[in-house]
Amino acid sequence: MAKNDDCVHILQGLLVFGNVVIGMCGIALTAECIYFVSDPHDLNPLLKATVNSDIYAAAWIGIFVGLALFALSILGIIGVIKASRTLLLVYIILMLITFAFEMASCITAATHQDSLTPELFLKQMLERYQKSEPANNSDNEVTKTWDELMLQNHCCGILGPSDWQKYTSAFRHMHSDADYPWPRMCCVLDAQGLPINLDGCKLGVPGYYNSNGCYDAISGPVNTHAWGVAWFGFAILCWTFCVLLATMFYWSRIEY
Amino acid sequence: TMLPLLLLLLPAAHGVVQLGYTPALTRDPVLGGQTTASTFVLDQPRCIFNNYGNADIWLVVALDGATSNFSNTARPGTPETAFQGFPDPVRAYMTLNATLANYPCPKPAGEITVLRVGSQTSCAQDVTRPTCNGPLPSPGPYRVKFLALEGSVPVAETGWSKPIKLREAESPDTISTTGGGHSAGMIAITTILSILFAILLAGLVAMLVFWSSDSCSGSSTFSKPESVTVRRYNTHHVYDQPAARL
Repeated sequence: MAKNDDCVHILQGLLVFGNVVIGMCGIALTAECIYFVSDPHDLNPLLKATVNSDIYAAAWIGIFVGLALFALSILGIIGVIKASRTLLLVYIILMLITFAFEMASCITAATHQDSLTPELFLKQMLERYQKSEPANNSDNEVTKTWDELMLQNHCCGILGPSDWQKYTSAFRHMHSDADYPWPRMCCVLDAQGLPINLDGCKLGVPGYYNSNGCYDAISGPVNTHAWGVAWFGFAILCWTFCVLLATMFYWSRIEY
Repeated sequence: TMLPLLLLLLPAAHGVVQLGYTPALTRDPVLGGQTTASTFVLDQPRCIFNNYGNADIWLVVALDGATSNFSNTARPGTPETAFQGFPDPVRAYMTLNATLANYPCPKPAGEITVLRVGSQTSCAQDVTRPTCNGPLPSPGPYRVKFLALEGSVPVAETGWSKPIKLREAESPDTISTTGGGHSAGMIAITTILSILFAILLAGLVAMLVFWSSDSCSGSSTFSKPESVTVRRYNTHHVYDQPAARL
């Protein structure tokens, strides 16, 4: 009997520990998703302008799943210590529902992360940047976001200034190629916002224009956050799986 | 009378010196705008026209097939060589007038000495400026050479450059955005999570079956922790004592 009691206590201890970890991870997931949704890198207009902005939906689900995990972990701890069959049954069923939601969130984040290719942003930039008659407010937002992005990150285009040469664009309809091989924002600007050497910029002399593309500046934050939502959620789910299996085993061993 | 006139002209024609230089696109330094859709960048002909301090050095830009038809006797600033008539009917135009003073020799180290063909947009439609260095109307290919004129007499020329092709822009509709594919990570997440979820559902079903059948508690069950009360035992020994007194 003593050995049985020890096994029981070890199992209870493990389950309590497992639930504590789930609770903390739930809080961490909520915090991370709130950070992603609040968008400190101001890339929101670009992502909203792309058709697939479901990464934000995945993040919103992540917030609520995180809180649910925290609440359920407390329920689980109480249920394990009291060895109550009903409490643990409720716990397991609610955990399975949360598991399903978090699974949907992870898969959505991973799938739509794959869809944010350079080509998607390139097409959007070519079609909307400096569109002469903005169809709606989002085109103005796209232009403003791009201008700020190119200014702050010292970059031009998606893969480089040659994007503006390889493809026709709304920008090209407005400005001639000889005067504006690429937008003025691609030039190195002085404190007043004027190019330090306009001819050097038009020629493409290294040092007077930004020769690298902005894709890294865009994809960096988006990738980090999206993979954070997807892979951190995946890790939590794996841990939750183990805890749930152990809980089911514990439940089946409680004498009713 | 035509024959002596021709004989007079022939020495003048043979008097054009063929310089061994071929104009070329600028390779050093590497320029991002070496060729764009309507402009291209050439090296300046430094230290080439050293013997022609009095000459005007013109750049001749011609369509690729028109180089053999171009005559050095063509005069710049006329409708036959006007930029505004290019490419039809004018097959070769002359622009970028300079003298040896503009191309000092040797080239100072560290300076970027280039000619940007096509940079003047203001005079592109202005027929009063036939020597305008206007943007090129089509992707080409084009060939260029430098021609030195003293007055209106050609004295020296470089060779024709290799054909220069400009960039052609495609429509953004040709960019395919559907080719994202599925990364290995996404497939791994989906597969593994689906399997885990299936196992959990199976476990839940097993649990409920187990519960409803209410069978075999098993030998290693444990009981709920009950509140243990300590009951006091009164032995017969305590009760017997008063009886003994009587």
